[in-house]
Amino acid sequence: MPKAVSTDYQSRVRKPDDFDAFWEDVLRQAAAIPLGAEVVPDPLRTSNDVEVFEAFYTSLDHVRVASWYCRPARRAERAPAIMLLPGYQMDPPIPKEWARKGYIALSVAPRGKLRSNRQFNPGYPNLLTHNIVDRHTYAYRGFYVDAWRGLDFLLSRPEVDGTRIGVAGSSQGGGLAITTAAMRPEVRAAAAGVPYLCGIMDAIELTHTYPYEEINDYLRLHPERRTEVETTLAYFDGINFAERITCPIVVNIGLQDNVCPPETGYALFNRIGASDKQLDPYDGHGHDGGRSRHGAIVDRFFAQHLLNER
Amino acid sequence: MDQLPRNFREYWQETLAGLARYPASPELEAIPLRSTAFATLYGLRLTSIGPYRLFGYLSIPTGTGPFPAIYYTPKYQSVHEIIPQGTANLQRSRYITFSLAGRGQRNADTPYAAMFPGLLTEGIGDPTTYIFRGILADSVRGLEFLLTRRELDPTRVVVVGNDVALITAALTGGATHVVTTPALFYKTAELAARTQTYPLEEINDYLRMFPARAEAVRRTLAYYDLRAFAPRAAAPTLLMTGAPGTLLDGQALKPLIDALAGRVTAHESEQSLYRDGLYAEQWMAAQCGIDDSRSILPEHWRD
Repeated sequence: MPKAVSTDYQSRVRKPDDFDAFWEDVLRQAAAIPLGAEVVPDPLRTSNDVEVFEAFYTSLDHVRVASWYCRPARRAERAPAIMLLPGYQMDPPIPKEWARKGYIALSVAPRGKLRSNRQFNPGYPNLLTHNIVDRHTYAYRGFYVDAWRGLDFLLSRPEVDGTRIGVAGSSQGGGLAITTAAMRPEVRAAAAGVPYLCGIMDAIELTHTYPYEEINDYLRLHPERRTEVETTLAYFDGINFAERITCPIVVNIGLQDNVCPPETGYALFNRIGASDKQLDPYDGHGHDGGRSRHGAIVDRFFAQHLLNER
Repeated sequence: MDQLPRNFREYWQETLAGLARYPASPELEAIPLRSTAFATLYGLRLTSIGPYRLFGYLSIPTGTGPFPAIYYTPKYQSVHEIIPQGTANLQRSRYITFSLAGRGQRNADTPYAAMFPGLLTEGIGDPTTYIFRGILADSVRGLEFLLTRRELDPTRVVVVGNDVALITAALTGGATHVVTTPALFYKTAELAARTQTYPLEEINDYLRMFPARAEAVRRTLAYYDLRAFAPRAAAPTLLMTGAPGTLLDGQALKPLIDALAGRVTAHESEQSLYRDGLYAEQWMAAQCGIDDSRSILPEHWRD
């Protein structure tokens, strides 16, 4: 087996002094933009038990964001909701299985993803380094807000119980679950799997696989820009968001994760501010994060916090 | 299996003949951003049936070849990768890697941009218009191109992917080894009825909307069923099956395993991307005579 991973790994990321001010300013800009929520029934994907819609809303820089919106066909007047956030390269799935569990489910395609790439499309690879020397235009500035605005979309829906909203995702979706739970107090519970975008500058030394390798590619070509890159990424590193999280949260990591190094998962978890937090490390697992075993834990976690099951 | 279509052979002969009518007209351009001391990356454009212009990432190791090659066939996803996510970049130091975007994927999405879900049922009502006819031709074209590279050792060419990898190797020569993870074209209509998970859920969606087309869908899928290609799949094959109890586990795929013409190694998923990935990496290295495979594994997979 590979060698053991240090559980007290220290990330070298430092929080910028104006971190909170930077994001407050971004949120202020976003709040000035009307949401423009729209739902369009999708009869092709709708079945007897799940209603499927294409949903759209407007985000930072007036970028139109697409998503899949699923409702249980039979539900109470107001139902709890889950927002699903996608991995780096995956196409956001239609979250029918969450609707079958009794949740209203929103699966967001942040800017640049398929169906949300008309106004912004840096491509893959490239998203991770798009405008990486400037935090004010870096790709993830809008990308993060696109995820956070998904909460506004859910809160705009009369059938959603706004006091029972959770967020979940793995890999990039795990990283987005971290930032969303940190920035949106409406989130009541969060599940972050194998979180990406945490300990970013650590990760590019701990692993040499894509997508993190995009940054190594960039720095190999532009070594003189390392300081600017490091400065920008500090504003976007999930570890710097983590202390703001107060909702219950469960995190899972794979100890042989070749994409998101487990060391960064430990560093993240140690910084999460919530008192109700749980880390499940899976030995013998890679970027799946032990999903085959952990899925049931996540189901129970959300059932307890959102469906009020014991 | 359902009866093989009477014109199965002609259908694919016509497809390949249609492909042959168009020269590949390759256009290579180095990509310095993704090139390293150990490998140079090129963006490649080439023409497939239609005509349709495709895109691929070709990585050539530094040094004097010939080198073994890994050909990553078009995937069921919009994103087109240089090498699969999580693969050590150092893989490119030992293998030529070639990753092709089939029509509809990013970098090959003009004029046709595929939707996911959506690709599996695009044009499925008629075998002559089914999108995968073009995608299989694309994949064959990619392998044909790879075989023209002077840096290539033609005795070590591994074709890797989902069903498309196996079908490609069966349709044309040149693949010396195959790593395939069936997901799309094994008893598709039958298995779709037993799942609610994409990609097969696309079939359920389609038939719910167009129930009168059920027979047409079944007819089209018969041209793509892996069992029909198995007798022509002579290359040693690593077949990655689902975990026990899943839709495409080893037991479900046994008829395919038994029917493949070449030597088969079946690996049943351990539901661990680490264990399954390590198995596949080491299998490929062993087939290609790479005896220090550890050095090109991801850091967290090394002993």
